[in-house]
Amino acid sequence: MTAVAAPVDSATALLSVRNLTCRFGAVVANDGVDFDVAPGEVHAVLGENGAGKSTLMKLIYGVYRPDAGELRVDGVPAAIDSPAAARAAGIGMVFQDLRLIPAFTVTENIALALPGRGVRFQRRALSARIAEQARRYGLPVHPDALVAHLSIGERQRVEILKVLMAGARLLILDEPTSVLAPQEVDALFAAVRALRANGLSIVIITHKLAEARAIADRVTVLRGGRVVLRNADPAAHTDAELVEAMVGRSVPGLAGHRQPPGPQVAPVVRLRGVDVTGDRGAPALRAIDLDLRPGELVGVAGVAGSGQRELCEVILGERRVAAGSVHIRDVAVHGRPRQALAAGAVGVPEDPLTDAVVPGLTVTEHLALADLGAVRRGLGIDWRAVAADAARREERAGLRMAAGDRVVAELSGGNVQRVLLTRALGAPATVVVAAYPSRGLDIATTRRTQELLLEQRDAGAAVLVVSEDLDELLAISDRIAVLHNGELAGIVTPATTDRYAIGQLMLGGDQAAGGSGSAAAGGSDLR
Amino acid sequence: MIVDVLTGGVRGGTAILYAALGETIAERAGVINLGTEGSMLTGALAAYAITAETGSPWAGVLAGAAAGGLLALVHAVMVLGRAANQLATGLVVLFLGLGLTSMFGAAYVGRAISPFQPYPVPLLADIPWLGPIFFQHDPLVYGSYLLAPAIWWLLYRSRVGLTIRGAGERGEVLTAYGHSPQLVRYLAVVTGGLLAGVGGAHLSTAYATAWFENMTAGRGFIAVALVIFAAWHPLRAVGGAYLFGAALALSPALQARGLGFNQFALDALPYLVTIAALVLLGRRRSNAAPEGLSRVFELTPAK
Amino acid sequence: MTDTLVRPAPEQAKIVDNRAKMWPRVVVAVLAAPVIFGAFAAVKGVDPLAMYADMAMSLVDPTQAQTVLVRASVLVLAALAVAVPARAGLLNVGGEGQIVIGAVCAAGVGLVTDQRLPGPVVLTLMVVAAMVGGAAWAGIAAGLRLTVKVNEAITTLLMNFIAIDIMLLLIYDPWKDASGFGQPASRPLEDTARLPLFVPGGTLNTGIVVAGIALVAIWWLMSRTGWGFRLRVVGGNPEAARRAGLRVGTLLVTSMLVGGALAGLAGLVHFAGTEFKLRPGMTANFGYVGFLASWLALHRPLRVALAALLLAAIAMTGDSLQIDANLPAASVNVLMAIVLLVVLGFTRRSNK
Repeated sequence: MTAVAAPVDSATALLSVRNLTCRFGAVVANDGVDFDVAPGEVHAVLGENGAGKSTLMKLIYGVYRPDAGELRVDGVPAAIDSPAAARAAGIGMVFQDLRLIPAFTVTENIALALPGRGVRFQRRALSARIAEQARRYGLPVHPDALVAHLSIGERQRVEILKVLMAGARLLILDEPTSVLAPQEVDALFAAVRALRANGLSIVIITHKLAEARAIADRVTVLRGGRVVLRNADPAAHTDAELVEAMVGRSVPGLAGHRQPPGPQVAPVVRLRGVDVTGDRGAPALRAIDLDLRPGELVGVAGVAGSGQRELCEVILGERRVAAGSVHIRDVAVHGRPRQALAAGAVGVPEDPLTDAVVPGLTVTEHLALADLGAVRRGLGIDWRAVAADAARREERAGLRMAAGDRVVAELSGGNVQRVLLTRALGAPATVVVAAYPSRGLDIATTRRTQELLLEQRDAGAAVLVVSEDLDELLAISDRIAVLHNGELAGIVTPATTDRYAIGQLMLGGDQAAGGSGSAAAGGSDLR
Repeated sequence: MIVDVLTGGVRGGTAILYAALGETIAERAGVINLGTEGSMLTGALAAYAITAETGSPWAGVLAGAAAGGLLALVHAVMVLGRAANQLATGLVVLFLGLGLTSMFGAAYVGRAISPFQPYPVPLLADIPWLGPIFFQHDPLVYGSYLLAPAIWWLLYRSRVGLTIRGAGERGEVLTAYGHSPQLVRYLAVVTGGLLAGVGGAHLSTAYATAWFENMTAGRGFIAVALVIFAAWHPLRAVGGAYLFGAALALSPALQARGLGFNQFALDALPYLVTIAALVLLGRRRSNAAPEGLSRVFELTPAK
Repeated sequence: MTDTLVRPAPEQAKIVDNRAKMWPRVVVAVLAAPVIFGAFAAVKGVDPLAMYADMAMSLVDPTQAQTVLVRASVLVLAALAVAVPARAGLLNVGGEGQIVIGAVCAAGVGLVTDQRLPGPVVLTLMVVAAMVGGAAWAGIAAGLRLTVKVNEAITTLLMNFIAIDIMLLLIYDPWKDASGFGQPASRPLEDTARLPLFVPGGTLNTGIVVAGIALVAIWWLMSRTGWGFRLRVVGGNPEAARRAGLRVGTLLVTSMLVGGALAGLAGLVHFAGTEFKLRPGMTANFGYVGFLASWLALHRPLRVALAALLLAAIAMTGDSLQIDANLPAASVNVLMAIVLLVVLGFTRRSNK
């Protein structure tokens, strides 16, 4: 259902998009999207992961080319075929991965982005201009500071200044608040308002309802590549309506025919008070208390970057905890993968190419890494035993792996994943930690993977599955833990919840009501 | 004696300084060139040969620069165009330089040239202590006095310098704003070779005023290490270059005075000092490295 | 989902060479080099064809052929010294220095014992001393890499010069052979302690057996042991290795120790097989040519043998160049370098 409020005349709109379609192979990322931005407004684009928001913005910014549809700037059709063209049309974009050079100062970064005149780079003049613009728009930055020393919030301000000084009239901010602390969000919004007061338009891509409400004049909701709610006034819709637009309604999940093991069963994996620092120094997990019991499958839901990756890594010993403790079968895991592996944990990594694929090694050799100790024979490796074990795993897993002598680095993404899944799930384990296991797989393989995870659970393993597919989680999980901003927003059971409720927790809708703190909705009895 | 040593330090360190300044530019752009030693060597030969043929050491310097730059171009093509391993390629290029200079240099061994003459700077050369140390050298030494700050200005105050350093840190950001990091790197590497060639030219036409096989004796490697030691900062390279020059000059100076320090212990000093410096400043230095260069050091050789 | 799956194009184009196309390219590479080198020679006024003919003839001569094998033995060991760390992802450029230290340690032990103990005992002690010395020298660089993160390529390179200075220091004073002429050198090793010859009066010594054993041993180590496998995993993807529970640091250090030991062994073979005394310039770039050989062979042990033979032969012909074509012996470095450049540039497999 598409609700349209206050249609905007494409002649007066600053930016107007009609029927925009973009396909990547078989996937339709944007399907007939209509979208307008008026001059001097803040427009939020809401949607779940994968709804097509980023694609739409990249189309507008010239990173991608549309397969169909048209784009108008100031009412005139514009051919935006590159970011340079977009910049020339007055469109600027602040990406989530900030395009900054940490070793440079603020001024140097901005100088790089501006077309230059002359041999000298006018450092002092530029610094003065930057300071003046920063004051004007409420984006305090010190022009001579090294970007490496700036917080993420400050770096974002530099990006915004960079875009402004390159002459943008329309700023697109891609998930700007996902890495900010609440006070920094307030500062950002103050700046956004200042920009609006100066006649600029700002498009904010976000999945956070509360913030969209706080800042946006109008809201457009995307779901599955289509516009589901267009140019809506956020004040005219309740949270419930907006969330429903974003995640849609679905038939509540069938009640599981099993009872998850109750609290009296001793947990196999215990996390207590776990704080984890992420790669960039910001906290990725805060005060996590979680138990995984043998014979249960716990799903982990959350928008990207909520701490799921760090959670998996910490259990598998691949990352240290900044505070708290992780135990597998009462053995403390101190950030050494060997300990976790010895305790019987296996993992399906989120990023196979960087984390698991060894160039030059064959499929069989990768499978040997599952348990090198077991296939040792004297000083060497009993490759026959490895092959036999591989065959057993393959049969167990039923995933149609590539031949043993194929070099894994040369396989397609899906085939690589099949090898890694066979390795991890093809033999009984104590703990299984799977991050986005079905990513890149076809339907049949996805189904089989889900069955494998359930088989591991039935055999007594504690299984943790991170997925962006809520339906998948609802179908296979005994419990679902929802992460939001590094904290456990709640733990629910499929029988008593649905996508909508999970969506609320994921998106922090509950938090908007003013309550802060973790584990609010789920209740500690479900820990 | 101290004056002698320091004077020798400036004289002997000039060749290293030229090479180090050139390599600073290249590494700032993200490419390490172990073949700098080769560029110095070919520069030394080319300069000597052209000086011998034309009688003009200045023509020799030009030839030396060209030769050094050409060899560095080979390195650039391999590393940037064919994605070959930077460290291995550098050594191969060195071998190429060794072979070429040996092949074409035989005719010039023992042949005399009219080298660069020392040119005392009027007034300044008469200052006690500082005069002899800094102002009684050949023109190339004076050139290096100007070059170091010039390169500093290039890297930190000019637009070109921004693109060079940007290419060495995050090339993708350069691409996002319409620059070509690859082109920048090519130019940086070739420039590095040009300057190393000038350094070699100084070695053969001013310092040793001779040509013999392998006359650079590892100065190119010292220059590369010096760049790291100086945290990729052109002005800090000056001190290091003169320090090594002094270490090289120390031995003959001591011998001349009949003091019996072991010559080989002194010979090893520059390398020991370099390693010690890298160790002591280790973590901080590796943090100061241009990001692109760190990736080169992390990358493993091909299987 | 598409947002996360679609990635922007990488900055540099990947160069992926199809494995099947590799062998023809190697052949072309090895053929192109002589053509280019011949062009250089022509510039010098030398007839390339005549030059190559002379070079080929020189190889056929029995004495020369023996010399090629002798040199190849040392080269094989020097190349293996680079190959083993390379499989783990480390760049060992310090072969030259490790060879020197190996020779020095061997000489140290040998000169003390060769007049007192039977030959085979001395030889055995020298082998051990050489390997331990080389390993320790390389181990320093490995340790520095792990503790203070200084890249091993730089440290091993610099340590080459220090090693040579150590040797010179010893030759010129404490170990100087008082009865020697000309260049300072250490006292020659007793006959009994030298590597035995195959044919009395010839030059081929049992160093070739040592090289052969090492070759087989390393091949076995790399392809048949758990250690070799784990080394390859680390060299391929250290992060994946870490997550699979491998002890990455230990593997890196042990690979360098093995490499250093092999280079030390090369030093021993050269010292006790050909030189018999320490003298300036004795190592004659074996370390660096060994480095080239390892890269030529893409670090595979068995191919290393072929590469070492090839480069030893090329180096050998350098002498004929000197005599017949009036080109300095070091000119062969050009030929070697061009071969390497073509191989390095056009036969890489997948890119990282």
